Amino acid sequence: MRRKVMSYRLRIWVLASAAFVALFTAMPGNGQTSPKTTSQIPRMPDGKPNFTGLWQTLGTAHWDIRDHSTQPGPFFQLGATGAMPAGQGIVEGGEIPYTPAAAAKQKENLQNRMKLDPEIKCYMPGIPRANYMPFPFQIIQSQRDIAFVYEYATSNRVVNMGTFREAAVDTWMGTSNGHWEGDTLVVDVSGLNGNSWFDRSGNFQTDNTHVVERFTLGDADHISYEASIEDKTIYTRPWKIGTVIYRHKEKNAQLNEFKCVEFAEELIYGHLKKK
Amino acid sequence: MKCRILILVFCLAALIGSAAGQTKTAALRPPSTPDIQGIWNFATITPLERPADLAGKEFFTEQEAAQHEKEVLARTNMDRRDGGAQADLERAYNDFWWDRGTKIVKTLRTSLIVDPRNGRIPPLTAGAKERQAERQAANRGHEFDGPENRPLFERCLILQGAGAPTTPTAYNNNTQIVQTPGFVAIHNEMGHEVRIIPLDGRPHLPQTMRQWKGDSRGHWESDTLIVETTNFSVKNSFRGSGPDMTLTERFRRLDADTLEYRFTVDDPETFTQPWTVEIPLTRAPGPLFEYACHEGNYGMRGVLSGARAQEKDAVEAKRPSK
Repeated sequence: MRRKVMSYRLRIWVLASAAFVALFTAMPGNGQTSPKTTSQIPRMPDGKPNFTGLWQTLGTAHWDIRDHSTQPGPFFQLGATGAMPAGQGIVEGGEIPYTPAAAAKQKENLQNRMKLDPEIKCYMPGIPRANYMPFPFQIIQSQRDIAFVYEYATSNRVVNMGTFREAAVDTWMGTSNGHWEGDTLVVDVSGLNGNSWFDRSGNFQTDNTHVVERFTLGDADHISYEASIEDKTIYTRPWKIGTVIYRHKEKNAQLNEFKCVEFAEELIYGHLKKK
Repeated sequence: MKCRILILVFCLAALIGSAAGQTKTAALRPPSTPDIQGIWNFATITPLERPADLAGKEFFTEQEAAQHEKEVLARTNMDRRDGGAQADLERAYNDFWWDRGTKIVKTLRTSLIVDPRNGRIPPLTAGAKERQAERQAANRGHEFDGPENRPLFERCLILQGAGAPTTPTAYNNNTQIVQTPGFVAIHNEMGHEVRIIPLDGRPHLPQTMRQWKGDSRGHWESDTLIVETTNFSVKNSFRGSGPDMTLTERFRRLDADTLEYRFTVDDPETFTQPWTVEIPLTRAPGPLFEYACHEGNYGMRGVLSGARAQEKDAVEAKRPSK
């Protein structure tokens, strides 16, 4: 009987020690956060978080990054399918700090959305808009650079993880330079050409806009996404957006093609066609 | 007390054991796959098909190659002003804007096609000829009606050489490969096209799903990445190919700065035999630039408004003068 008790105690010690060892060995070297989080996220051989996968943001930020109520859509023919669903915004504090002139421009954009929204014309969406459109995107993370490939409009960017590279020219998707801050991938986006919007509600940027994105894996299947946006020409102070990006878990889920040029041709060139 | 020491000893032993275990795991990992990453340039003045005047000649000598390069560069120089106004117009942009390369391929081959040995695309099947004729007939007389009558590259849908497969053209002959266990991404500067190639053995998309660049699956066979692409859209065609083409591409590092790219087109409905192309890719400093074709497509507006203006002029010309 006594022997049995001893062996029971010993077993507890063994289990406890094993747990301690497991915890200890799971803790990575370079000042990362709680062991619980770090043990759950996929990692590269060098210990950096591995973002490779098919991702998509849920919600209605693509309609309006600010808080918004349900509204009718522009075409009655689409009925319920064309309406704009309500959604809580992704702008920290709720407001975009536009200058008065920029606030007026946003309203004008919204009023002329069918003519002006680059998404309608199948133009590349820019950053950050590409990350929360209602389409998946694929991240391929190598030991060097990280490719972001978006389904919408065949758009993409390769994040340079090497020495910082100045934007050589302004582009739709900007120039992305990345670095690690602990387990967070920080991407500095400059060289945006200023033609992109943030959403379908005319919220806009200029060629002075500077975006700094932060990607953090909360667990294996969720990225906490944050972007700070700065542009003294249209905003009175820097501001932030934040949302969650979800991993596609369906079997064999893959990025498919959404080459939308042909869907925008009638709209763009219709008036030039032979009658 | 004794007990605590025992625990400490046990923990230390377990730690050592676990460290030893890690070493073992590392040793058991499969040998690392070849590194084909980086930015590669495939510009060359070697044509896809062997020109008629080089029939029967598979390779140049070094001397012949140098002479040939000189001749081609002189002939294609867009800054020449020796042809009159019409030739000037047809030469379009100045030479600065073209980036076709200045060299023939390192292998000194006279064509990029290596099989069949005559360096030519095999003859089309009767069915393919019929298909081509029908397509041309349907567009005849309507070439300038609307965007859908224009070639895919003018519409910025699929640009020349953008793939799949990738082939050299007038500019943007750069590709960036990003590689990770399980996936390879091939990013072509031309048309900002990225193909994502899963390496996990998953099946192709169902036959009912068709894509402009097809559906690619890859695997490693010793030092070579093999990519098989099917499920092409009927709207896209590579040198006359049909939607049921099977494209097999092979990527193999020859040395630090050379990546051999070979592809085989197998489409019995279109070509009387499979054919194979070989292009040596050379490491390039980069970066790739964003080629926003559709976003700045003033060409399409120009072509269509030009056609409408001509029609209007023709109507005016027929009117009896007052």
